[in-house]
Amino acid sequence: MFKKILIANRGEIALRVICACKELGIPAVAVYSEADRFSLHVRFADEAICIGPPHSSDSYLNVASIISAAEITGADAIHPGYGFLAESAHFADVCETSGLTFIGPSPEVIRLMGDKDRARKAMAEHGLPVLPGSGVLQSAAEAAEVAKRIGYPVIIKAVAGGGGRGMRIIKSEDGLASALQTAQNEAAASFGSPDVYLEKYVASPRHIEFQVMGDKHGKVVHLGERECTIQRRHQKVIEESPSTQIDSETRQRVGGQVIRALEKIGYTNAGTVEFLMDENRNLYFLEMNTRIQVEHPVTEMVTGLDLVKLQITIAAGEPISISGETVGLRGHAIECRICAENPETFAPSAGKITGFHTPGGTGVRVDTAAYSECVIPPFYDSLIAKLVVHGRDRAEAISRMARALEMFVVEGISTSIPVHEKVMADADFRAGNFDTGFLKRFSANGAEPS
Amino acid sequence: MPGKNTTRAGGSSGSSWNLKEICELIDVLVEREISEFEMEKGGVRIRVKRGNSPAEAPAVTVLPANASPTWVPPPPPPVPVPRPAAAEAPAEGASESAEDLHIIKSPIVGTFYASPAPNAPPFVQLGDVVQVGQALCIIEAMKLMNEIESEVAGEVVRIYVETGQPVEYGQSLFTIRPSHKI
Repeated sequence: MFKKILIANRGEIALRVICACKELGIPAVAVYSEADRFSLHVRFADEAICIGPPHSSDSYLNVASIISAAEITGADAIHPGYGFLAESAHFADVCETSGLTFIGPSPEVIRLMGDKDRARKAMAEHGLPVLPGSGVLQSAAEAAEVAKRIGYPVIIKAVAGGGGRGMRIIKSEDGLASALQTAQNEAAASFGSPDVYLEKYVASPRHIEFQVMGDKHGKVVHLGERECTIQRRHQKVIEESPSTQIDSETRQRVGGQVIRALEKIGYTNAGTVEFLMDENRNLYFLEMNTRIQVEHPVTEMVTGLDLVKLQITIAAGEPISISGETVGLRGHAIECRICAENPETFAPSAGKITGFHTPGGTGVRVDTAAYSECVIPPFYDSLIAKLVVHGRDRAEAISRMARALEMFVVEGISTSIPVHEKVMADADFRAGNFDTGFLKRFSANGAEPS
Repeated sequence: MPGKNTTRAGGSSGSSWNLKEICELIDVLVEREISEFEMEKGGVRIRVKRGNSPAEAPAVTVLPANASPTWVPPPPPPVPVPRPAAAEAPAEGASESAEDLHIIKSPIVGTFYASPAPNAPPFVQLGDVVQVGQALCIIEAMKLMNEIESEVAGEVVRIYVETGQPVEYGQSLFTIRPSHKI
């Protein structure tokens, strides 16, 4: 087992990893920027190293600082959390050459899944359904031919993009050539590669993702699905498990397909395979995230597993002790991402939290690094807390979430709590009738700008 | 490295101010009819200044030596954020202390070495006068030796760290008394 783990992250996920380290009896090293000097992850780690000024590029994305911090503290493993360097194959490479264990998949697998075109091809090759589409587009003529074959509307995506960025919807042949050019320019500017590909566009999709875990002995398991359809501008806002759209037969079938595909590519550690679901409940592989996800607590609540501890033990070489392909899901869990933002305009709200009281009681979990009198810095994302509830069924989970939201006090800054409360009260949400456009229409009805 | 529950501010010792200490400081000022007093503790410097009329309450200014809990820096300028020591000078004006000391802080994370080689004499010693750009030490990071150069010309009046000691970003390394006032 590791002597010491350095956590290359901040905020609530850094705290989350520290929790797992403490329970495993492994000393944890926190790294922090000057803006995070008074953060909880700094306080609760066994050691803390200041690695740079506030801006991420000089601190949390600074590979040299982080590796150096591991060297001077004697850490032998690094947990990258999510975001920042979690999906950087380069960082995983540097960890390896520096003699540090990167707690995640191998650099080759990270590289494969980070290239959206290669990932699509690999998953299709290994039996997963993918949306009809193209490879890297070589010309406008090819794009037109593929689009005609698939049928409009189509969507152009950047190969090096992901997470909802660098995408363009095209409704007809007229807009194709210019959209292609613009997309290639944007992709080059934003992601360093102009390569784009084309996919069938599903107008009212749902977002279903499967949590997976692979050990270093070739075993891969799936831990059921999460539904993350409630989104705003491609950012997840509410997640739940299980999905109202997935029955146990589908879960078993798709889960099995995912396992076999990942076993073939040698997937290790935590990962999430994301699918789009169309109006006919067909699932299509979208992309894979080769890291622990923000919404992992939802799966932890319905499976009873500690996914971050699993990441650590797997990285240390221990086999997964689950027999079979999966574990059973029990009850229903929902997560609301509480962000520091104006609930009407969604503008970020940085500043000092003057009052903070988290809800408790049966089946309620709050993952947060915020505390009373803390300052939310303007340099990083606006997530301040994850409110997760578990109930014996979806109805209880929703009523529990509504109750917990009402009892969550945050003063001094604006938060998205009111938005979540409205969603929990919404008839369509409660009935499970929604697609990724839900929040936008929801806002429009509430006369809020989107 | 510091254990838990101690301040992480580089180079400083002890914990920061509590309310009782600040009140005691003010009491001393009033009692002894001192007009102005300044002291740094745990990375936070406090300046207390009395008004002219005896009835006036003393003004307490907390100066961020490194970063205070409510510190939010300005939008990123094209030049690096000015060092706290330099930033305090224009703000305080006439009540500036006579000494204008410059602290050299580590720009990287790594291991400090006072000498260019294991048995060689150190780059600088206390009392040495250094020039701008003169190498003061080496900080090793990822097997690369980085020479840290002085930003000011002046006399080395304090050395905070010793050879082999790990240092973090922003940790105090040397205090230089600049030869010329800014």
